[in-house]
Amino acid sequence: MNSLGRRLLLLLFSFTLSLAFACVNSEEIGGNFRLTDHNNNSFELDQLKGKLVLLFFGYTYCPDICPTELANLTAVLNELGDQAEQVQGLFVSLDPGRDTPEVLHDYVGYFNRDLMGLSGSDDEVAQVARQYRVNYQRHEREDGSYSIDHSANLYLIDSRGVLSAVVPYGIPPQHLYQMVRGLLDEMAEMDSSS
Amino acid sequence: MYRLFLASLLLAVTSSQALSTGQLSDSAPGYGKLGYPLPEIGSYALPPLGKAANGEVIDSGGNRRALHDIFSDSYVLLAFIYSTCSDVNGCPLSSHVFYKIKSAMKRDAELAERLKMVSLSFDPANDTPEVMQLYSNNFRYAGKAGEWQFITTASQQQLQPILQSYNQVIQREIDSQGNPQVGYSHVLRVFLIDPEKRIRNIYSVDFLHHELIINDLKTLLVQETEQGQLLKAAANIDETAQLSKPGDYKQGYEEESYVTRSLDLASRRGKAADLLAIVSNPPLGLPPVPVPADNPLTREKIELGRKLFYDRRLSLNDTFSCAMCHVPEQGFTSNELAMAVGIEGRSVRRNSPSVYNSAYAKLLFHDGREENLEQQVWGPLLARNEMANPSVGYVLQKIRDIDDYDGSFEAAFDGRGVSMETLGMAIASYQRTLVSGNSAFDRWYYGGDKQALSAEAQRGFDLFVGKAGCAACHRIGDKHALFSDDTLHNTGIGYRESMGILPEKQPVLVAPGVVLQVERSVIESVGEPPPTDVGRYEVTQNPADRWKYKTPSLRNVALTAPYMHNGSLGTLGEVVDFYDGGGVPNELLDPLIRPLGLSDEDKADLVAFLQSLTGGNVDTLVADAFAAPVGDVGKGDPSWVHGTEVEVR
Repeated sequence: MNSLGRRLLLLLFSFTLSLAFACVNSEEIGGNFRLTDHNNNSFELDQLKGKLVLLFFGYTYCPDICPTELANLTAVLNELGDQAEQVQGLFVSLDPGRDTPEVLHDYVGYFNRDLMGLSGSDDEVAQVARQYRVNYQRHEREDGSYSIDHSANLYLIDSRGVLSAVVPYGIPPQHLYQMVRGLLDEMAEMDSSS
Repeated sequence: MYRLFLASLLLAVTSSQALSTGQLSDSAPGYGKLGYPLPEIGSYALPPLGKAANGEVIDSGGNRRALHDIFSDSYVLLAFIYSTCSDVNGCPLSSHVFYKIKSAMKRDAELAERLKMVSLSFDPANDTPEVMQLYSNNFRYAGKAGEWQFITTASQQQLQPILQSYNQVIQREIDSQGNPQVGYSHVLRVFLIDPEKRIRNIYSVDFLHHELIINDLKTLLVQETEQGQLLKAAANIDETAQLSKPGDYKQGYEEESYVTRSLDLASRRGKAADLLAIVSNPPLGLPPVPVPADNPLTREKIELGRKLFYDRRLSLNDTFSCAMCHVPEQGFTSNELAMAVGIEGRSVRRNSPSVYNSAYAKLLFHDGREENLEQQVWGPLLARNEMANPSVGYVLQKIRDIDDYDGSFEAAFDGRGVSMETLGMAIASYQRTLVSGNSAFDRWYYGGDKQALSAEAQRGFDLFVGKAGCAACHRIGDKHALFSDDTLHNTGIGYRESMGILPEKQPVLVAPGVVLQVERSVIESVGEPPPTDVGRYEVTQNPADRWKYKTPSLRNVALTAPYMHNGSLGTLGEVVDFYDGGGVPNELLDPLIRPLGLSDEDKADLVAFLQSLTGGNVDTLVADAFAAPVGDVGKGDPSWVHGTEVEVR
């Protein structure tokens, strides 16, 4: 009961934080950001203009959602074949303490070499999460380890860098594939008409 | 103490802290195959579980809407979600199941047509309309079939009553042994709602599966059809007004989902009726038709009048017939114009009245300036903004010159040719035959058929003759009813128009589901100034008669929208609201018009009663109109526009 009370207090506290956060949330969702890629190079979203970007947030110790979503992403990229060149998958770590560029490099490589892992300082990551309205929270375990709860949407950013759709977790990869194909066709049309 | 604490957290938890690390191995049945066989469709009952409440929401386009407005008349699946949720068995589960149903809609047209899916966010601070738009964007390539809307609310103030009314609360997660888990979550509940806005099923995590939901919906649809047939058999309702709608029927145009459903002209099939028989023995609820001694009804006159009524050549430029404002399939008026429009788009300042049952009218025109149909005909023929003929003689000479009228006046009028008198008599004879009664009300009230009128309409009748006082002017007799007192009254509608009492902004529907609020000043900068209209005063010059207009009959009133002398009210519901509010106050307001204090149920009952006044023979009369020839310029006609040579027929 005592520990429960503490937990509730903690929840209430973080809720007030999130409310404060919510109040300033009239700014536009999405946009450019700067982080470090899994080869330890500085990274900027804008450098991917011209490509369709699939952006996902998670962490490498994630037991379920992240591997599932990355496996889905990989399936979509494989299905796209040559067209995959026009697409860039990004995995932003919400756990920069453990997810160094090296760790990320190996982790995303398990799924697909074309995926890019990104991390940065706590503040940098928090800034990106705020831009995309991703909620995440660290949970301490009794054995001293921790997990991170986080929202699990996938963000589709078009070739101009504009956030174009948000796909909730739980939608089958076939849908994501159709969506990506559709957006690529739109991009091709825009190119040919310009 | 703990309970109180938990309660205060209900809200808090929803917005950000319902994150849990659910294992995929624990994922809900909704992600996989259904573990049990479904009962046969229609073999079980889904009794209503209460009302699905209304509330103010914001659609993904940022428009404030009533939740019920978004439901419209569909079956609805409603889920409460928030975009930052990550509980695998929470919001993502509802997205997954909805997605499965959306996919099924591609193959199942009935499903796509009858079911609408709505995801409502309970996190208005984060889930702005913009975010909801991004969600719905993601289904751009998921096929056109079916509708899935993502909506939110303006703030907690709008949200809370909705959450409360759906009993959507947040609880601690508990594992199968009953031990508390780390996370807190809202209890996922998805609501299946019927078109009457009643909740028919509530799906929790363990029951949220697309196959079960589709099975439930199909069960409701089967039972709805069965019930519909039963009701119809019981009430003996005739589908009497099937033909009475515009060829390009715009019902539902205010919804984004509206699709054009113009009727093929080929479906406009005519069938001539024995009009003389109809008028000689008028339908139930109507008195004998008064016929002037000097214009007895004959088949020849009716036939000739019918031809003239649909003849475009009766106008100055050969384009405009009587029937273009008194459109047969639109209740012999025009459903699509508040105020009529004459040749070359010239504005007319009043709503075109229905010709149904005009045989009985003792006053004609909204200001009652004419006394019989024979004379009335000349009003529209000569009005510069209607058929625009310059003179009586011009019309007569024109008809004499049209070869296909050769001899027809002489045959109908004992050798008398085309004259001011015979032309009026012929058209009046046709109009006189458009008598329409034997409505559900008539069968109930005069026919003694207790089943003919629904309980709702019967309650509406009680209000009509009682509390609401409608029958004071729209009279109902012992043996028959004309629903008019043949006099004129000031309800304030005319006063309001003359005084320019108008809202600052006017909603303008520019495309399906797209309404612009246009400033009055903008409308005035491009619009024609409202015409002067003082009603009966224009006829009598008596100041006490200002803004008085004739009491119209209410027979077929469901077919003759829009309403009032200026067409300013679009639906029967608006008309009832107007009278309930006591009209528009002015010093000459008729004392019969006063606030009525009707409840919402009363108003619905009154509308149901008004809808029961549609005559049993309107399809017969409309089909007869479709069978009539449409007079148009052709060979043998002089052309009054391009000289004497006719170029095309």
